[in-house]
Amino acid sequence: MSNFLFLFRGGDAARRNQTPEEMQAEMQKWGAWMGGLKEKGQLVDGLPLAKEGNVVKKGGEVITDGPFAEGSEVVGGYLIVTSNDQKGAVEISKGCPIFEHGGNVEVRQIMSMDM
Amino acid sequence: MIETKKQVENLFRYEYGKIIGVLINKFGPSNLERIEDAVQDALLKAMQVWGYKNLPENPTSWLYRVATNNLIDVLRRDKKMLLAADDKTNLTENHISIPEIVLESIISDSQLKMIFACCHPSLSVDYQIILSLKLIGGFGNKEIAKALLKKEDSVAKSYTRAKKMLKSNITTLDIPIEIGLQSRLSIVLRVIYLLFSEGYASSTGSEIIKRDICLESIRLALMLSENEYCNRPNVNALLALMCFHTSRFEARVNEDGELVDLEHQDRTKYDNNLIAIGIEHLENASKAVLEPSNYHLEAAVSYYHCIAKTFELTDWNSILNLYNLQLKRQYSPVVQLNRIVPYYKVNGPKKAMGKLLEFEGSAYFKVSALYYAIKAELLLQLGIKEETLVALKNAVDQTENDMEKNHFLKKMVQLRTEMM
Repeated sequence: MSNFLFLFRGGDAARRNQTPEEMQAEMQKWGAWMGGLKEKGQLVDGLPLAKEGNVVKKGGEVITDGPFAEGSEVVGGYLIVTSNDQKGAVEISKGCPIFEHGGNVEVRQIMSMDM
Repeated sequence: MIETKKQVENLFRYEYGKIIGVLINKFGPSNLERIEDAVQDALLKAMQVWGYKNLPENPTSWLYRVATNNLIDVLRRDKKMLLAADDKTNLTENHISIPEIVLESIISDSQLKMIFACCHPSLSVDYQIILSLKLIGGFGNKEIAKALLKKEDSVAKSYTRAKKMLKSNITTLDIPIEIGLQSRLSIVLRVIYLLFSEGYASSTGSEIIKRDICLESIRLALMLSENEYCNRPNVNALLALMCFHTSRFEARVNEDGELVDLEHQDRTKYDNNLIAIGIEHLENASKAVLEPSNYHLEAAVSYYHCIAKTFELTDWNSILNLYNLQLKRQYSPVVQLNRIVPYYKVNGPKKAMGKLLEFEGSAYFKVSALYYAIKAELLLQLGIKEETLVALKNAVDQTENDMEKNHFLKKMVQLRTEMM
């Protein structure tokens, strides 16, 4: 078993235009999806990330507000799940509600010491 | 995360209205757009954070805190840009930490003020309705369009115009004082009644959202009834009326989305809980009332329908009396037409037909689908089937409501089959 990092990107523009009812429905979908992962013992950790932040370059000489990349590129949150292999992790990511708003999930294996 | 399933239905929608009200009350209607953005952002954040974890202990104060912070950030930024000299809002003042109990009372106070602002007499009825739905009910343009069978962008356009009018006519939120209260209150009640009718009307719009609009109207009237100055008999009468009607909501449309008339409704589908609440308010409405309002009379009619075990066992005599009272108070062709139904149940189809024919030729009834529907029913009872078909055809032609159209068409098909 290995741990995998899910990076959630995009879908912000579509979300902004949601009505309160739709937002609640989406929240419930995320809750249900993650609740399912938890029940199956696949969920390790995860949190959303704030929009604001900085990008620090050159040892602090250059600090920019950001990320402020293109909307579809900004990481909105992450999740760590366990799976046998990359294929299984990709399979898990397919249930993510982010696809409904045109967002995507980047699935990366987390390297461990005993590899 | 499992708990999220148990959370209150429409939580986000209600919270949206609550926080909007508090912030408009505090920062004034001139900041309406900024406030809407701030609350929208707070909900967006809530959606992301709460989706991962559980709901916070008090979602309202969480949202209030986040939305207020958002708003103050924007106001500070704009203030810097405009260098506004005489800003009355002190942005450094601590708006953020308010004890829960205080927040609760601020919310109910500002919601009440919002009702009076959205139903301000300077606004047209359409604006009053859309503002109430958006700013108090927390409905989105999409939902309003779906329920009222309008295009989403025309809802958006009319909302933009309504907001403009609101901002130019209302600078601070108030509850009208004693002298002006009665007249303002009756306007508010009329708007709530119209709002309710939009939700209750049988149309092919989304049933779920329409039911929500009915419940929202009840919620608004309940807020009025909880205020000692606004808790008048007509408020209770309107509440009773809306509870009785809504109790039949599920029964008035069948599984296939077809209209079911009163006679054929499955009465086990009536919501007894709402009927009980309605009765309670009808009793409150009858206390210390010198002259019953139209809401009283209409509520009483609806009451007799709700408690009747079957259509035939309905107390038609009492209903007829109520219609007579209503007509005596104020002539209305709709009431006069509706009165024919209990009149027929009490006096038989022949006499009722005589009454109905008195209206024949009147411009109002010539274009009324209800007139032809009643006429068809009476003709059918009298066994005049050919003419029943003609009347039903007229009813089909006169209604623009697809559900009603199908209802009449179905009756025509049934009758034709019987005649073969």
